[in-house]
Amino acid sequence: MNVVQELLQSFSREQIIVDDEQKAPFECDGLSAYREKPLAVVLPASIEEVQLALNICRKYKTPVITRGSGTGLSGGALPTQDGVVLGLSKMNRILNIDPLARTAVVEPGVRNITISQEAAPHNLYYAPDPSSQVACSIGGNVAENSGGVHCLKYGLTVHNVLAIKVITLDGEELTLDYKDDGIDLLALLNGSEGLLGIIVEIKVKLLPKAEASQLIMAAFHKVSDCANAVTNILKSGIIPAGLEMMDQFSIEAAEAFAHVGYPLEAAALLLCEVDGNQYQVEADTKKVSSLLNENGAYLLKLSQNDEERIALWQGRKNAFPAVGRLSPDYYCMDGTIPRNKLAYVLDQIDDMSKRYELKVANVFHAGDGNLHPLILYDAQIPGELEKTEQFGAEILKLCIDVGGTITGEHGVGVEKLDSMCQQFSAPEIEIFHQIKQVFDPENLLNPGKAVPTLHRCAELGQMHVHHGELPFAHLERF
Amino acid sequence: MSITHLQEQIKQAAHEKQRLQIIGNQSKVSLIDNHTPLEIGGYTGVTSYDPAELVVTVKTGTKIADLQQELAQHNQMLAFDTPDYGDSTIGGSYACGLSGPSQPFFGALRDFVLGIKMIDGKGQALTFGGEMIKNVAGYDVARMLVGSKGLFGVVTEISLKVLPLMEEKTYSMEMGQADAIIKMNEMAGTALPISGCAYYQGKLYYRLIGIHPPQSAMPEDNTIWQKVNPFRPEISGKQKLWRVSIDSMHPPIHNTLLIDQVGARRWIVSEHKPDVSHVDLWDLQDKKRRPSFDSHPKITDIKKGLKSVFDPYGIFH
Repeated sequence: MNVVQELLQSFSREQIIVDDEQKAPFECDGLSAYREKPLAVVLPASIEEVQLALNICRKYKTPVITRGSGTGLSGGALPTQDGVVLGLSKMNRILNIDPLARTAVVEPGVRNITISQEAAPHNLYYAPDPSSQVACSIGGNVAENSGGVHCLKYGLTVHNVLAIKVITLDGEELTLDYKDDGIDLLALLNGSEGLLGIIVEIKVKLLPKAEASQLIMAAFHKVSDCANAVTNILKSGIIPAGLEMMDQFSIEAAEAFAHVGYPLEAAALLLCEVDGNQYQVEADTKKVSSLLNENGAYLLKLSQNDEERIALWQGRKNAFPAVGRLSPDYYCMDGTIPRNKLAYVLDQIDDMSKRYELKVANVFHAGDGNLHPLILYDAQIPGELEKTEQFGAEILKLCIDVGGTITGEHGVGVEKLDSMCQQFSAPEIEIFHQIKQVFDPENLLNPGKAVPTLHRCAELGQMHVHHGELPFAHLERF
Repeated sequence: MSITHLQEQIKQAAHEKQRLQIIGNQSKVSLIDNHTPLEIGGYTGVTSYDPAELVVTVKTGTKIADLQQELAQHNQMLAFDTPDYGDSTIGGSYACGLSGPSQPFFGALRDFVLGIKMIDGKGQALTFGGEMIKNVAGYDVARMLVGSKGLFGVVTEISLKVLPLMEEKTYSMEMGQADAIIKMNEMAGTALPISGCAYYQGKLYYRLIGIHPPQSAMPEDNTIWQKVNPFRPEISGKQKLWRVSIDSMHPPIHNTLLIDQVGARRWIVSEHKPDVSHVDLWDLQDKKRRPSFDSHPKITDIKKGLKSVFDPYGIFH
């Protein structure tokens, strides 16, 4: 008996996929440049079935790659040839909404937006809103600690999760609660990219809907003016609910796609949303408008009603597919930088774009410094993917050089393993491996993701030899 | 005091099989017998702060009061209301994971932590996280160690998200405890800009920020929040003070003296441990609190495993 045979015996035919053709949709996640077919795909519908699948895989020492909706952008759910994909899409029930306590308990396969839709009759919503929120699952959000447009004011996933149920490699069901004393395991599991356990239930915080929201759109002739406006808004004591910036190329692409009335001649566009009670929103709108004028905005547009506000956001929210129409392929980067380096970093990316002869569209969460340069390329041209990846890695190195990080919200996955070697020292990476070992000594949960091996870093020349002493001399280098 | 000096002290302790106790200004703990103090109270000062970035990086021996004062000069603040027991340090707040009345509205201390620098039990200087509001590279060790009480190593620097200083007004309503629990939860589900909601001595107190609609409740001064945070009631005889973290809608618990955080934190004075989950004995008089134990053996195993990752020689108390 092998692992597939035992899984076939234990699960109904609707819950296991072994046919090569049917496995195809599972061979990649949102980072489609990397593909691999797994041994099998199992679709458990309950906690007990997750435990069953895990027990079988552990018995045969078979890697387990947990997958939600597959919208991840860093290859975090990329299968391995010798592994089983554990798809949690069938675990998609909302188990409880407590409007008075302002909480929802949900299964991991519930789509992000469904939580807000179900909470809406109580005038509540779930705040973190990744752009893929109509499709992405909450379990994946927790595994990746996903962000979104409203992170600056309302936080990432980790700030909005109150408790999780997690199944460890040995099949134990644990509850990790924000109320627990001591070491914060709940924080550790958020963003752990499926390497430490399988998240099977999530309790999230629901927030009251704001009484009023006002979107202010500002157009600038100079990118640096727009960047300064961002800094000055935050310095003034206002924390916008959303503060998003787009460059000219993105504006053109988004307008051609969504037809929302973006000014095509602008070098940079800023979307600033303030929310709260009526009184506060009126005061903040006035203050933001005058700051934008003082910082060189040549055009200001205030949304007149909720429909117009949502429509203006649509351009930004659809910027990725809009850019996708302009090129056979694009590669979405995800670095974060201090806001005061925004203008400098954009100039540098522009220079690189010329050097690599690849176009770049810049859309980003200006409020929290999270950049999303989209590099346009054509995978059919030999060598162009490799060139694009090199360009991307150079952008991430730039992010580290100015004091930022290699990923703000997409995760490391397989995509940014090499860049991890630049952000972290060998002892720090070694600590990450040891943490993994505490949870998963056999290295079966999503192996090869998120944390690079030390010899990979050594190969890249990221480990520096000090006084002739080679660190980790015992490691194989190949 | 320097990082190198701390590293040397830790390496020496590992070599000589000494046990170290990390000490700030001793506002929360006193020295344990047979432990050598690892003093961090003298390691003070802001290492970087750009108000427009909403981030401050500070050495962990820095007093909370000094940090708040520095931030206030730029109209900013720490938004998690961490209690000051007198000369408390930001490192002590981090080690104990202490957040006050604003926690349900803005988040707990751990929600504001962006990065740390630390020295582990091998004497290695390590950095986790950074100064970015969004950063998901690597496991979130910086947040994981909030509340770890120095068991994993000495945290030498913390980067924290800060928020604009807000104008605050406090109001009160008289009512019974059971009604107050429901009322405060109802209020927290509205668009009212609340930053604190507590029940004390027959009154529901709530604190509003910024511009807000006129209130029919009684206006109060803001001193009530200093009175309940830190909460240090007079206790007599065999009575003990217990801190209970609980679901916000949990019905009244016997012997409750104060309800804070919209019902999610209850302070109880009684001789015996209250019969609910997530109870912490809160007795700062003897300053020798022991960390709580987890009920699930697997969680205890995981925490022990993590402790040995960071402190393989077991030198940190």
